[in-house]
Amino acid sequence: MASQIGIGKCWAFNDDEQPPYPTIELTVSSADRKASISPKVDTGFNGSLALGREAVRKVRLTARGTVLIKAATGHNEVPVYAVKIYQPDLALTFTTLAIGTERSLAGRKLLEHRTWLLDCKRRRFCITTSRPATND
Amino acid sequence: MMRPFVEAIRTFRWEPFRSVDLVERLGYASGYARNFLSQATRQGLLIVESKRGKKEKTFRANPDVVREIVLRGGKEKTELLEALGLHSKFLGQYVALRGFSVVDHDADVYRLAERVFPDTEAQDDVVITNVGTPKKILTVEI
Repeated sequence: MASQIGIGKCWAFNDDEQPPYPTIELTVSSADRKASISPKVDTGFNGSLALGREAVRKVRLTARGTVLIKAATGHNEVPVYAVKIYQPDLALTFTTLAIGTERSLAGRKLLEHRTWLLDCKRRRFCITTSRPATND
Repeated sequence: MMRPFVEAIRTFRWEPFRSVDLVERLGYASGYARNFLSQATRQGLLIVESKRGKKEKTFRANPDVVREIVLRGGKEKTELLEALGLHSKFLGQYVALRGFSVVDHDADVYRLAERVFPDTEAQDDVVITNVGTPKKILTVEI
C-alpha cells in the first residue's frame, strides 16, 4: 500500500554556533538522578550517545570503563557510562553505553530504523510518520 | 612502581609470591624486591598474605587495582591487559573485567554492554575496556 510521509515531532536547530546544527531532546538518568539534554545530531558518530562533562556531572554518572575511539584529531581514550535514555516522542526507553566527550552527541545508532527530516530551511530536525495515501 | 607491578602480574598472575620469587624469577636484587613489595603494599597494589607458621610473607596482586588502572587508561592499562594475557586472546575486542577475570567479551561494545549492564546499577564492580585497537571502533567526526 502506498503511503505518504508526515512530519511528527520536530526539534529546533541550536544556533549557538554558525551554521546552526540539528539537535534532539532526551532525558538521561542514572540510578538516582536525571537530566534533560539536547545533544547535537552527529551522523559521523557511529555510536548511540556521547555525553559532555556537564551532563555527566548533572546525572552524577560514574565511569564503567574506558574505550578507545577514533576522532577527527586521532585516537582518544574516553570513559564509558551506563545510562538510561528516555525519549517519549520516539517511544524510546533503554539502557545503553554512553561515551564521555567534550559535548553531548546523538549518533547513528540512536537514529537508525527511523526516517528523519533534516529541514535546513526551517531549521528543524524532525521524525517522520507514515500514513496511508489518499486518492484525492 | 607500575613496571615491577606489571612484571609481577605477568609472571605470577594472581597467584601468591614471595620476595625470593622476585629475586629468582625476575632477577631483581633482594633490596629492590623488598623495597618494591613495601611500596606496592602501601599503595594498595599488592595484598599481604601472612600465613601462620610461615616466616616469610607472601603477596598477591590486588584485583581491585584492575578497575582503577582501566579507569585511568593510557599506557598502564595497555601494559596491564597485555600482562594479563588478554592481547593474545581478545585483541581487537572489548572485554568486561571483574578483578583479573574476564566475565564477558565481544567485538561490539554495545552488545557487550547490553549483557553486562542491563540496567544502570548492574555489576558496578565490572569494567569494560578495549584490548588493542577495536575492530569495531567507535568513531566521532568532530
